[in-house]
Amino acid sequence: MRILRQIRPILSALRSHKTAVTLLMLEIALTMAVLGNLVFIVYGTMQRSHMATGVAESQIGWIQSIGVLGQDNPGTGAENIAVLRNAPGVLDAAYGSPPFVGKETNPIFPDAARSRPVAHAYVVQGSQHMSTTLGLRIVQGRDFNDGDLPDLMDVFMKKTDTPLPALMTQALAQRLYPDGKALERILYDGRYAYRVIGIIDHLRSEVTGRANDDDALLTEYRIGAQDLGGGYLIRSRPGQLPQALKAAAAALQKANPGHVENKVHTMAELRENYFKSDLAAGRMLVAIIAILLVVTALGVSGLASFWVQQRRRQIGMRRALGATRGDILNYFQAENFLIVSGGVLLGVFFAYALNLFLMHRFELAHLPAHYLLAGALALWLLGQLAVLGPALRAAAVPPAVATRSV
Amino acid sequence: MFGYYLDLALRSLKRNKVLTALMVLAIALGIGTSMTTLTVMHVLSGDPIPGKSAQLFRVRMNVYPDDSFRQGDKVPDNLTRRDAEALLLAGQADRQAAMSAGAMVVVSAKGEPLRVATRYTGADFFPMFDAPMRYGAAWRREDDAGRARVAVISDALNEQLFGGADSVGQTLRVGDQSLRIVGVLGDWSMNPRFYDLSNGQFGDSEQVFVPLSTALDLKLSTSGSTSCWGNAPDPRAADAPCIWLQYWAELGTPAKAAAYRQYLQNYIALQQQGGRFTHDGQAGLLDVMQWLDAKGVVPADVRLQTWLALGFLGICLLNTVGLLLAKFLRRSGEIGVRRALGASRRAIFVQCLVEAGVVGIAGGAFGLALAALGLVLVRHQPTDYGAYVHMDLRMLLATFVLALASSLLAGLLPAWRAMHVAPAVALKSN
Repeated sequence: MRILRQIRPILSALRSHKTAVTLLMLEIALTMAVLGNLVFIVYGTMQRSHMATGVAESQIGWIQSIGVLGQDNPGTGAENIAVLRNAPGVLDAAYGSPPFVGKETNPIFPDAARSRPVAHAYVVQGSQHMSTTLGLRIVQGRDFNDGDLPDLMDVFMKKTDTPLPALMTQALAQRLYPDGKALERILYDGRYAYRVIGIIDHLRSEVTGRANDDDALLTEYRIGAQDLGGGYLIRSRPGQLPQALKAAAAALQKANPGHVENKVHTMAELRENYFKSDLAAGRMLVAIIAILLVVTALGVSGLASFWVQQRRRQIGMRRALGATRGDILNYFQAENFLIVSGGVLLGVFFAYALNLFLMHRFELAHLPAHYLLAGALALWLLGQLAVLGPALRAAAVPPAVATRSV
Repeated sequence: MFGYYLDLALRSLKRNKVLTALMVLAIALGIGTSMTTLTVMHVLSGDPIPGKSAQLFRVRMNVYPDDSFRQGDKVPDNLTRRDAEALLLAGQADRQAAMSAGAMVVVSAKGEPLRVATRYTGADFFPMFDAPMRYGAAWRREDDAGRARVAVISDALNEQLFGGADSVGQTLRVGDQSLRIVGVLGDWSMNPRFYDLSNGQFGDSEQVFVPLSTALDLKLSTSGSTSCWGNAPDPRAADAPCIWLQYWAELGTPAKAAAYRQYLQNYIALQQQGGRFTHDGQAGLLDVMQWLDAKGVVPADVRLQTWLALGFLGICLLNTVGLLLAKFLRRSGEIGVRRALGASRRAIFVQCLVEAGVVGIAGGAFGLALAALGLVLVRHQPTDYGAYVHMDLRMLLATFVLALASSLLAGLLPAWRAMHVAPAVALKSN
């Protein structure tokens, strides 16, 4: 209650420092706007870097095996898969590439005329065993069976017009067929036709934060006696990925003396590589946040010390008239709280304005209100910490100052 | 007079060291942060080939068949092999080259396979992009026509394969084929790698350059964006309905560029008359800077950081305004004395601004150190552009101009308030 009684004198004291108070409130408002949006961006990036792709990431490794022009190579695609599956610790293997590797969206059309795309989805192609190697979860319909799969050469040369069997993610199925009847539907991308045989829960080929990350079609073809360079996938037994990947890469190299194994990576490495520049940008933003808070604290504390110095005589008088040290401390703390509160109120508008600008220019999402609440709490705390030093110095002013001239 | 103000400013700043340090620190942090991001921005949006960027043009055209053409679509970036070869044959520009990226495995002298990045292009590529030769020379235009088995290799690969010796005349084993090395590039890298942004926008130059005709003949593997319409068993075939080749032309004068634009229009019109399509077709030229702009080479997060850093500088300025105001008004008594002794309002105003300027210069110097530190951090970030970020003389000067300008701007309001101090009141209250 003592503090409440102090508010009126504080307000009238502040009225004689209108410019300085306005500047400080503006500074706090701007800090709040930048802080709220920055934390929102950084937190979004961090959340994204942990978003699951829907494949059994901890068990998947990828080997890129590339043919050297003109070198004879005895290995064939089908044999390579067999060799990989026989490697110790390997559960399954396929020819194809995992999420985060060279993925682009394709326009998806409802009819063969291909006049208006209804979605832009990732179309993932792989050999037999692709869906089991990735460890996809089928929630409706069925997985591929041996009779389904078209031959690789027929697919690449586009000799077949029969729709390719495909698995579709739930997200894409809901987008295209809100009636829930996605199975057995036919749809088209720029090159092929697909028939939906099953629905999988998730398959994110990329994690960009866009709404269509989880829109995917997966199709398998049969590979046989071709010498096939490119990416091979393995799935290891749980917890055995490093050893299994090493053994698999060695076995594959032995079976393909005419190939070079350019890249051998676990999914964890691919994920790290995919997010490294985003996370680097995030670290830059964290640095900016820290410096921003320091600068604002310096400003608050600088102006507060100026006011303390200016009011030494008045403080002495109040002390001489019976005010305790605590009263003086409280006075400066309450003053700071009022100024920061004014800044925070203004900051809400600034934060939303900045958010609108960023949404417009950088595809940022809407700033949720709890970020502002957190920002306000942070600034109140920061203000109190920044004013503590000057306020303590004010409280230490002896009553005798009142009798001396400044 | 200025000397006197400077002396007064230094005395005043010395009197209240904490407040002065706070102001210098605030300006330094604002300048340091914004100069770090502005330098990144400056490097990323800089001209990779100054002096020539207005004479080099990316040639683009839209020759989709009617069923793939959509009015209002963007002009595709790449050409079909058929169109690229037709333009090369016509040779209407000062220099021109069609090109594609690729990769191949070369076999070192010790028999170890080594995967290298390649560029398949024409003889004009090297003079067009100012690529210097350490040893030998680029292949000639006749080699393009003759599908000669020749190659130019990078300095780095020469170091790796031949220990840096003059390797001209040596052979490069590519599977069962061999290419004769005719030239070794000197120090050359374009950042951003504007001639082909589809295979990493920043990075070192390719390690092996081979004539495009030779690469197609040997079926060397290409990489980069390819889009086809219709049935394309071999997207690299001479008549394949696929766009995949990048095409650059050097046009020395605006008149030549205009003439080339006209030539492209005529070419499109001829294609239309030849029955390839019935729509109007599209063809265009973009010079290097327009091309970089169209492709959005500056990453979104860098642009975002730049905006935020400028906002941050604004906050630091507000901070300085507040502190300067406190400082000047605290000296009301002293200002009152000076006014009473005959100093004009203008003199007080200038004196205050000189003081603000001194703070700005000090903040700029300190901020420069912070920016240098910030850039070291940027270079250690795992981004593809990080390694190429450095501060040049222009950014150095810009730092001081920005620091001085912002501190003077911050000093305006406090100086204005200080010059309106009423001498009588100020003297009395003392």
